[in-house]
Amino acid sequence: MSLSNRNRLAANGHVAGNSAHDARPTVRSIPLDLSAETMATGWQTALTRPPKIRMAMLDWSLAAPGVVSVPLPKVALRTIGYQFPEARTPELPGLEQPAGSTRPVARKTPASKTRIKPPGDLIKLEDRLYYLLQPPLESFVTGGSLHFPFNPFPYQLDGIAFLYPRAHAILADEMGLGKTMQAIATIRLLIHAGELRRVLLVCPKPLVSNWQREFALWAPEIPLNVVAGNQTRRHWQWNQPDALVTIANYELLLRDREVVASPDLHFDLVVLDESQRIKNRNSSTSQVVREISRRRSWALTGTPIENSPEDLVGIFEFLAPGYLRSGMKPRQLRAAVADHLLRRTKDRVLTDLPPKLFRDAHVELTSEQRETYEMAEDEGVVKLSKLGHELTIQHVFELVLRLKQICNFDPTTGASAKMERLLADVEECAASGRKAIVFSQWVETLKQIKHRLARFRPLEYHGQIPSRQREQVIDQFKNDSSSSVILMSYGAGSVGLNLQFCGYVFLFDRWWNPAVEDQAINRAHRIGAAGPVTVTRFLALGTIEERIDQILASKRELFDTVLGGTAPQRLGMTREEVFSLFELQTPKGPIDLAA
Amino acid sequence: MDPSAAKSLPELGFLAVVEHSQHGLFGGYLVLNHGGRPLEFHCTAPVKPNRAQEILYGPTLKPYLYGEQIGKTLLDRAKTLPSVVLTDSPPALALREVIEAPLALIGESDGVLASEAAGPSGALCCFELLGHQAAVEQRFVSDRERLTTLLAPVAQSIDLAEPFFRIREAIEEANRAA
Repeated sequence: MSLSNRNRLAANGHVAGNSAHDARPTVRSIPLDLSAETMATGWQTALTRPPKIRMAMLDWSLAAPGVVSVPLPKVALRTIGYQFPEARTPELPGLEQPAGSTRPVARKTPASKTRIKPPGDLIKLEDRLYYLLQPPLESFVTGGSLHFPFNPFPYQLDGIAFLYPRAHAILADEMGLGKTMQAIATIRLLIHAGELRRVLLVCPKPLVSNWQREFALWAPEIPLNVVAGNQTRRHWQWNQPDALVTIANYELLLRDREVVASPDLHFDLVVLDESQRIKNRNSSTSQVVREISRRRSWALTGTPIENSPEDLVGIFEFLAPGYLRSGMKPRQLRAAVADHLLRRTKDRVLTDLPPKLFRDAHVELTSEQRETYEMAEDEGVVKLSKLGHELTIQHVFELVLRLKQICNFDPTTGASAKMERLLADVEECAASGRKAIVFSQWVETLKQIKHRLARFRPLEYHGQIPSRQREQVIDQFKNDSSSSVILMSYGAGSVGLNLQFCGYVFLFDRWWNPAVEDQAINRAHRIGAAGPVTVTRFLALGTIEERIDQILASKRELFDTVLGGTAPQRLGMTREEVFSLFELQTPKGPIDLAA
Repeated sequence: MDPSAAKSLPELGFLAVVEHSQHGLFGGYLVLNHGGRPLEFHCTAPVKPNRAQEILYGPTLKPYLYGEQIGKTLLDRAKTLPSVVLTDSPPALALREVIEAPLALIGESDGVLASEAAGPSGALCCFELLGHQAAVEQRFVSDRERLTTLLAPVAQSIDLAEPFFRIREAIEEANRAA
């Protein structure tokens, strides 16, 4: 039996015996074939039916990829651009930098340099960019082709940056801060930039020589055309088309009005020094300067307001007619002039300037002076009272002046309490090798002082000294060590002079207007002052001088309101205040202000 | 000054590109005479690359914008052919590919341009130029000598870093006016 059969049998339990010794097993076969009958039904037929196959063609080919093009064209840029006229420097002798004087360019942070900024009223972008793109001022001073004798103070560079782009400007720095230098340096830069071809500078007559000196120092290559001499000569001078800078005084302007106001005569810039001279719009001086044909107008003054804010309005009639109106409130004025007026005071910008020490020398009149004074005042007041409606401010002034003269010297005996004090002070001053300036408003007073101070070899500088001799007087005072004192009138000596080698200033009598006194004091207390300046203000107690002082001292606010800061009061006295000195009523009718 | 001598003095081009976070890039180009006075000024409207440009130009975007697009456009607008061009924007060194004048990157006098710093297309050659750190691309290393020679006459009159301040001020002013 095959093995498979054996297995089959075993599985069915039909294998008997399992030993080899068993007898052969009996094999019984059981048929396993099962018969199945099927009956035909409908669906069963379907089982035998061949399947029906449907075929469909599928497109398996890939579609072409979508392409997105990103354009990267070269975009045409929009630009704006300007060409500036290249500076055509006039051919000036001495323009070359002196040999060996080249200095390295200052390496400061660009932002910290002094830059010219366009003024607010400059509208055209091209013009604004022209000024913005100018080099910092330090590059001219310390490295450029222009030679400056000294490095200007930072505030002076600020002043130059202020003037440079402006068509209408007031430089109103306190006296002694260098307005002259700032104006000259700016004019020089503008000439070298080709922006100015013809400049007119107008100043008081005594200052003409001072401007000449300052130009020689700060702009030596610029030739000056100083108008002077007879009419024929002056007309010829006015009509010099190639004169870069013409200097004239106010008086000549009036005399040559016909030429000056001619439309044929045109200036790129007109500068008025001591421009308080035109504060009164109705004055001839104001009218004639307004008639000058010009492109730019600058005013220089330490006292833009002397008596009232109207003074400022008057100056602006020259700068920009109609820009300021009469009756504007101080705050309105301040806002309106902010971009056109630059004023700095010494205490703010010259922190290292030697101090200015004030001493009020309050003296008691001598018995002779007192007697004379009281008699004069009593008689004077009675006389004024009798005038009634005929009384004018001139009458009051006459009495004031007479009383003030008595406060200086007794007219009969020559006694003077002030002189005694002055003598002692000048002795001390001369002994220490210092020099002094004595100011008075009267030449006669100065002559009396000269007589008493003869041993100190005093020099005189006032209206009776011819103009051509004045410069010589200043030189002698500066260089002659034996001359310890110079006697000056307020009118002649209060403006423009540089006497910073003087350590003492004496105000023998007081001026109506403290601004004039300040100008006088600042002849000595200015840049270059070697040490402190002592200012002695004489005042006779119990007199008209004391009353005037009190009135002026009470008026320190208006100037500050308009010009800000700690500026000193610059106001003079009003008509009412002058009358109040003697408790007189102000008469009706027009009365000229004299202060 | 003798006019013929003045003519031989260089006219200098200063190129600055200002990045504004909102508006993009503003280019400014100032041409100065030998005394530092302005002869010409040109500036661009803002340029702002789109996203695609940023992606596709990749690291070459800045050199392209600063040099080819802004710098070249501005120099083409100017009437004055400068003797040298100076920039304070490193990517603007790419401009050198398309101009003849020597081009240098200027740093502050007390600043440092790392000698290993790379320009738009390679290493920089750093040197001192009139008291300032300066750099040219290595490929244009001969510019160094040309710059030194051409700028020698203005050594006392021009601070090479300063005009970029003027350009930025002018761009701001132009924007205020726009």
